[in-house]
Amino acid sequence: MAETHSGHGPGRILVAVYGVLALAATGRSILQIVEYFDRAPLAYILSALAAVIYIVATVGMARGDRSSTRIALLACTVELVGVLVVGAFSYAVPSAFPDKTVWSHFGSGYGYVPLILPVLGIWWLNRVRRGSTQTSSAA
Amino acid sequence: MILVLTQVLVAAALLLTVVALGYALFDRVIGNVVLGLAALVELGVIVQLVRGLAGIPSLDGSKATFTAYLITLPFVLAITVWSAIKDKTRWAMASIGIGAFAVAVMTLRLQQIWDLHG
Repeated sequence: MAETHSGHGPGRILVAVYGVLALAATGRSILQIVEYFDRAPLAYILSALAAVIYIVATVGMARGDRSSTRIALLACTVELVGVLVVGAFSYAVPSAFPDKTVWSHFGSGYGYVPLILPVLGIWWLNRVRRGSTQTSSAA
Repeated sequence: MILVLTQVLVAAALLLTVVALGYALFDRVIGNVVLGLAALVELGVIVQLVRGLAGIPSLDGSKATFTAYLITLPFVLAITVWSAIKDKTRWAMASIGIGAFAVAVMTLRLQQIWDLHG
């Protein structure tokens, strides 16, 4: 049987990894904004944005109803674009990214998890969505 | 933070990571071994929380991160273990493994901040 809830089955692993990353990104971004925001405002704003997106993706995936899945899918897409754009920029303009953020250098500070995760997330959410459309059309 | 406890805690959390992932791999549901180990790790985390909270005023930097990590840490295992009890599948076991790994990494990070700024 195809899984139709994004937070069940293998999706639980994704929710766990997303949760951990949300935690890590939130922690780091609080530190950067509270303690040395002036050093690189752009990087730190992006860092905070990343943290919020991870939280949205985690919650969306864990809830798993139709609209939550859609929101999670959107969050994963923004994430993928973010990690690619910020990753590329951090190599092109290193001075704007003095400290590591979740997305800079394609997430190398986090074992490239931020780069792989959205791809897995998008794949999984699409699978779940397809599964649930088939179930409802069969019923 | 108590250094010896950090070391024991990290070792126990890594052991829990391996055991839980092993359970997931062999499709075994949560049992006393995992629950006991998780309870031990959680106990250590709570002791560090109390010690850490008491030490926050004397830190000379990174207070925000330290506090954020310290307060969220006890929830990681609590939530993943709870989900594995409710949903007895290999996937829930894998998420305990991931949670336990996160506990190990975050505990190390806390100790690092403590040593640098304490």
